[in-house]
Amino acid sequence: MRRLLEGIAAGASGWVELRYHARRSKRLVVRNGQVEESASIDLVGVGVRAFVDGAFGFASTTDLTEAGIGKAMQVAQSIAETAAGPKRKKVPGLAQATFGNGVFPLETDDPLAAHTLEEKLDLVVRTDGLVRAAHPSIVSSEVSYAEMVDEKVIVTSDGASVQLHDAKPAFRVLAVAETAGDQAMALETVGVTGGWSDLFADKTPEGLVEKAARLAVDQLSAGRPSGGVTTVVLDPELVGVLAHEAIGHTVEADFVLGGAITAGKIGEPVASELVTMCDSGSAKIAPHAVGIVPVDDEGVPAQRTVLIERGVLRSYLHNRETAAHFGVAPTGNARAYTYSDEPLIRMTNTYIEAGEMPFDEMIGGVKDGYYLCGLGQSGQADSNAEFMFGVKEAYRIRDGKVTELVRGATISGNAFETLRSIDAVGDDFRWEKSSGFCGKGQPAKTDGGGPHLRCTLTIGGQQDA
Amino acid sequence: MPSETLLDRCREAVEIAQRHEADDVEVYGQTVESVNSVVEKHDLQIAKSQFETSFGVRAFVDGRLGFASTNDAARLGETCRDAVALARISPQDPHNVLPETQEIVPVEDLFDPKAAEFAASDAVRRAAEMLSLAESIDRRVILNDAWFESSVGETALANSAGLAIAEKGSLFTYGAVATAREGETVSSFDFQFGGARTVDAIDAEAPIRRVCESALASLGAKPGESFKGTVLLSPQAVADLVVGLLLFQLSARNALRGRSRWKSALGESVADSRLTLVDDGRRPGGLATSAFDREGTPRRRQRLIAGGRLDALMHNAYTARAMGETSTASASGSARSIPGIGPSNLEILPGEGSLDELVADVPKGLLIRRFSGNANPISGDFSGATKSAQLIREGRLDRAVSGTMIAGNVFEALRQISGVSANREQVYNYTLPYLRLEGVSVTSE
Repeated sequence: MRRLLEGIAAGASGWVELRYHARRSKRLVVRNGQVEESASIDLVGVGVRAFVDGAFGFASTTDLTEAGIGKAMQVAQSIAETAAGPKRKKVPGLAQATFGNGVFPLETDDPLAAHTLEEKLDLVVRTDGLVRAAHPSIVSSEVSYAEMVDEKVIVTSDGASVQLHDAKPAFRVLAVAETAGDQAMALETVGVTGGWSDLFADKTPEGLVEKAARLAVDQLSAGRPSGGVTTVVLDPELVGVLAHEAIGHTVEADFVLGGAITAGKIGEPVASELVTMCDSGSAKIAPHAVGIVPVDDEGVPAQRTVLIERGVLRSYLHNRETAAHFGVAPTGNARAYTYSDEPLIRMTNTYIEAGEMPFDEMIGGVKDGYYLCGLGQSGQADSNAEFMFGVKEAYRIRDGKVTELVRGATISGNAFETLRSIDAVGDDFRWEKSSGFCGKGQPAKTDGGGPHLRCTLTIGGQQDA
Repeated sequence: MPSETLLDRCREAVEIAQRHEADDVEVYGQTVESVNSVVEKHDLQIAKSQFETSFGVRAFVDGRLGFASTNDAARLGETCRDAVALARISPQDPHNVLPETQEIVPVEDLFDPKAAEFAASDAVRRAAEMLSLAESIDRRVILNDAWFESSVGETALANSAGLAIAEKGSLFTYGAVATAREGETVSSFDFQFGGARTVDAIDAEAPIRRVCESALASLGAKPGESFKGTVLLSPQAVADLVVGLLLFQLSARNALRGRSRWKSALGESVADSRLTLVDDGRRPGGLATSAFDREGTPRRRQRLIAGGRLDALMHNAYTARAMGETSTASASGSARSIPGIGPSNLEILPGEGSLDELVADVPKGLLIRRFSGNANPISGDFSGATKSAQLIREGRLDRAVSGTMIAGNVFEALRQISGVSANREQVYNYTLPYLRLEGVSVTSE
């Protein structure tokens, strides 16, 4: 396929980008002992982007013959040509890039294909049974396994030629507990880039069940948090969510051009000096994290992009178009979800770097506050950095000690004000490695991580769904 | 692709799966060829074209079900094998069955030959015209987003019970999101949608005019008033607030899971007698019109709520078998997924009177053009912000209001419908009137 695409690109007039993407997915869903879904879904095709006279055109096809791909290329070029007419602000050009040419195999000792679907379904069915057996108050369970195994070839007429192999499995456990008409649910998930044993390296199915069941049951007897501005300690998972949702989106260069709050602020202090925040698709920096992208869909290799360095805004996340606009190098963040999607600026693994304070000391310094862990069921953030997240697991801190669980906590605020309020950064670090997707017109597998952090924000209670 | 080819591939795949010893097989094939042009921030952003063929295979082995899907026609044989293999390892469920085979009567005029000639350049031109129109209506309008999409496609279905059917169709959809700005004041945004099955029926001007009108009407909005009483929901607000709950409650799948409170409510009153809800899969010109559903059951006109009484739940073959009912041809979804349950052309039947007449006998109320909030489909509780809202005072539309929330319960609101308009609008594949509701809590800042 790589040779075929290289041949077609060599014969193109003008700039083109050809991307072959084969995705083989499996989905196994079991709810209350019944198989809701056992599905295998293949999605294979070629997407072509053409650039003519300051405008892009995109065409995709499932006809993988030379003639079929050639036709898609012609369509993309003719669309770009047509679009160039009414286009008002022409794109001046694409930034030069050092392409990550070559073949990139998936790094794992235990490929997903070495395990049969029967083995995977058996695990899902057994785990679902464990959820309902975990506690008499558990009334409903759902367990699912999903994997995406990708092969990509990316070729551009200006020299990119990349072949990539990727696999991203995920496992989810949902427990619903009920007492006297009151319901509470808890979802525990794990997701990685890698193989079967990588998926369960940090969290086992039994561990996910134990946690989900305990959290669902404990919430039934938990009280509500008292609202207001307060000192909180965020766990690494929630730090990852904050870094991604509340800050990461505001530094995506297409959003910056659309008027995000970070526009014109490069070089300015935006956070506490304790904060250094980065994005990286590299497996070396983020081993088995969900958002690993060794080379992006424009052929640009992963790097470590420092977004905020000791509190100062240093960079946005770019594709080749916005890099040219800002006169910088592309950062390896152009990603398309399937062959029929055009690449957009997306995060990969977004994280805040570890600091120096031990966890116990951080908690010990809080007289009255909350220890908040993980993202709950709701969350939203705007390009002005205002955010509201539900918290999965919240504990009251009293006199320097983590005490009782509270239920239905939400946090809200402005992400940059929250970053400015950080007065302690933990000496630990963890990737979130969850099963979720980021949405921006297209889904994308991303990850977030960080150390524990202490800061000030607004906590609120909320009604349960 | 000529229609025999797609259907032939489906038939071949049925035979392949049978050779792998499936008891029953269903193969659903889809082709789609589309062009789409997008306007953002007053400029053309990207134009896209897509050509895709995909197949979904359901294999039944001894009451066990496996599903596999591919868009790589060369791998269809392996996909059939995968579906059978998945079925073998899945637990038995006696309700996993093919639907009963019934005669399919084709629907006229689903496919406009002129649509096949519709090129990417036509979609780009249409999107550019939508932008120019918005700018010509009023310079204060900001068109945040607009799109125009044209697609032609074919669906085919073959199963081991001898069903073999295919249908071609064309579809145009278009819409816009706009705000209005005057000095430092920015209105709330409004969204409008339109669609057509034929080139001649395209009217991309209408949603642009509506979106501009609505954005301009909410300029200069100020906090309103707090009261408990009458609200008038636009068709879009009906879709935002009411339709989701109706579809959730009407899904037989949710009834089976014990999540629908209408599980055993057939014949009972669930809403005011002014409400009649119909799903018409064969509606002439309907955006979701087709001769058969995702499982090959013939589409029909199905009353779901008649004069406020629950007439039927929406069933596919699985739920029909599990609940001892007949399928309502509500199997939904694409070749990429197992058939679910969903509506085709859902409509609330028109009432009497114009919008002005619905306003005329309201001493105090609120017209709500969009609702942004949560409506819990199980409890019915809703709360959220109103967008592009306008006060009603002494029977007339008064000033625009901002920062106004509404809260209540959808089940209760359905019983307190006091008016249904005669005119209706297309919101996606729903055809909806204005609905006037009583007893809703309105809270202003």
